[in-house]
Amino acid sequence: MSDISGIIFSEYTIHLAILVGLYAILAQSLNLTFGLGQLFNLAHVASYAIGAYTTALLSTEAQWQFVPCVAASILLSGAFSVFLGTIALRLTNDYFAIGTLAFGAVVSSLLINWRSVTHGVLGIPGIPRPEILGLDMYQNSNFLALLLVFVVAVQALYFAISRGPFGRSLRALAEYDQAAAALGINTRLVRNVAFLLSSAAAGLAGSFFAYYLNYIDPTSFAFGEMIFLMTIVVVGRPGSFFGVLLSTAFLVLLPEPLRFLNLDSATLGPMRQLLYSLILFAVVWWKRRSIFPEQREV
Amino acid sequence: MLSISGLEVSFQGSPVLNGLSLSVVAGETVGIIGPNGSGKTTLFNCISGFVTQRGGTIALRGEEIQDLQPNARALRGLGRVFQNFGVFRNMTVLENLLLALESRSDQMLSILPWSSGRAQQKEQALALLREVRLEEKASLKASSLSGGQMRLLEIIRTVAAGAEVFLLDEPTAGVSPRMKDDVTGIIRRLQELGKTVMIIEHDITFIERFCTRIVVVNEGRIVLDGTPEQVRSDEQLKEIYFGRA
Ligand SMILES: Nc1ncnc2c1ncn2[C@@H]1O[C@H](COP(=O)(O)OP(=O)(O)O)[C@@H](O)[C@H]1O
Ligand SMILES: [Mg+2]
Repeated sequence: MSDISGIIFSEYTIHLAILVGLYAILAQSLNLTFGLGQLFNLAHVASYAIGAYTTALLSTEAQWQFVPCVAASILLSGAFSVFLGTIALRLTNDYFAIGTLAFGAVVSSLLINWRSVTHGVLGIPGIPRPEILGLDMYQNSNFLALLLVFVVAVQALYFAISRGPFGRSLRALAEYDQAAAALGINTRLVRNVAFLLSSAAAGLAGSFFAYYLNYIDPTSFAFGEMIFLMTIVVVGRPGSFFGVLLSTAFLVLLPEPLRFLNLDSATLGPMRQLLYSLILFAVVWWKRRSIFPEQREV
Repeated sequence: MLSISGLEVSFQGSPVLNGLSLSVVAGETVGIIGPNGSGKTTLFNCISGFVTQRGGTIALRGEEIQDLQPNARALRGLGRVFQNFGVFRNMTVLENLLLALESRSDQMLSILPWSSGRAQQKEQALALLREVRLEEKASLKASSLSGGQMRLLEIIRTVAAGAEVFLLDEPTAGVSPRMKDDVTGIIRRLQELGKTVMIIEHDITFIERFCTRIVVVNEGRIVLDGTPEQVRSDEQLKEIYFGRA
């Protein structure tokens, strides 16, 4: 009996570790734009969805292998951000937020209504886990190991960015765009590159998400997911590398005890949303002066 | 060095610069005075590229720059020190300088914090900070500096960015009387280095210390242009500031 509970427990732990890993990529990449760059990017989940659907469609309908699927997810999500960036980055502050929100809504609506490609609300089933170096990825511990390679690579990249010249120029234009431009910094280029790197990583997370669940549908990419990601960044302190890493683990694991309350899933879902919304609201209220210091202008 | 001709700017239909023309030769220091709201900051914003002109040209070393982006103008040697402090307060004093050096050497997109040139850049940054006696503050947040220290940091940062022309907008505003001498010191240093300097200032006795030429702006035009003595003794100056007697 204790053997079985031990196995269940470890499967459960591995599942949680995979979730934390996925969200560590999603939240840290959002932290680049929303945190370091103070760009109110509400299209991050759209990038995530594009990555997930790319891998889902290519691996089922075209039987592409792991590497080309992941690469295609990263590239398409990156391309989406370039397209979105050339339009939305012409807008500033609140207007930028509204612009990215609109694009996010367009992507959401495409997932549901462009049935010939996305299969609408039915979603895409039967996404096969890859086989790599002869390892069976249906074994979650193997899948976790594979994911961790990417999680570490992405975190290393963002850590380097946060300490290096690129992160510095991004922080500069977040604080005083025109003073950064007066030093010769191409502020539009820096923003676009940040947006690209952030969106490409969300695409990577989407690809792994599709492989992990074997099935995706539009509900995973609803606006509640965007609120959750923002909550992670805000609680971790926007722009803080380690803060966001810690708050990812904390907030992903936080609602887990709710599982043991024996609630049905129709109650559990909204309860988690409510919990995250309350946390987001509380932190924003409590730290309303310091989360986003006012941007200066000439 | 800098040649402005027929510059016109208006905000929501109301004109702020009315065909303003001004030429500054290399190495010259020009003081700009004028009542509040006469368009002095707008003139600097237009030269820097933050405000778009309705008409007129701006030439830097003979090249027309009025249609370039602000960062492109900066890379051509145009430096700006902001009236409302352009220092990045959330960064350390050292980072403020590194930013300028990195931008100048086209590294603002380089991701890695470790590279061969980095140590050398840090040395260069510290050497510049020493000139304004801020090297001991290098690792402190810039928000901990006094107003005067922020002005010094912003000016030396503009030197680091490679500026040849300096647009200083009220560099002594928010600076304690004791620190004004330090600001004077750094402006003298710019002159020694052969830089071209334009200073907006309210205090005519302050700019007289280093300017041989003062221009007076009123209602978006240059109404007086001469030596400090000529400007001081001109009857028009009183009219502008105190109205017709
Ligand atoms: N961005 C702006 N939008 C609208 N009006 C402005 C803007 N900047 C300056 N003005 C107006 O232009 C006039 C000149 O301002 P400014 O150049 O700042 O004057 P000064 O620096 O000489 O005190 C003022 O009437 C000011 O209200
Ligand atoms: Mg002014």
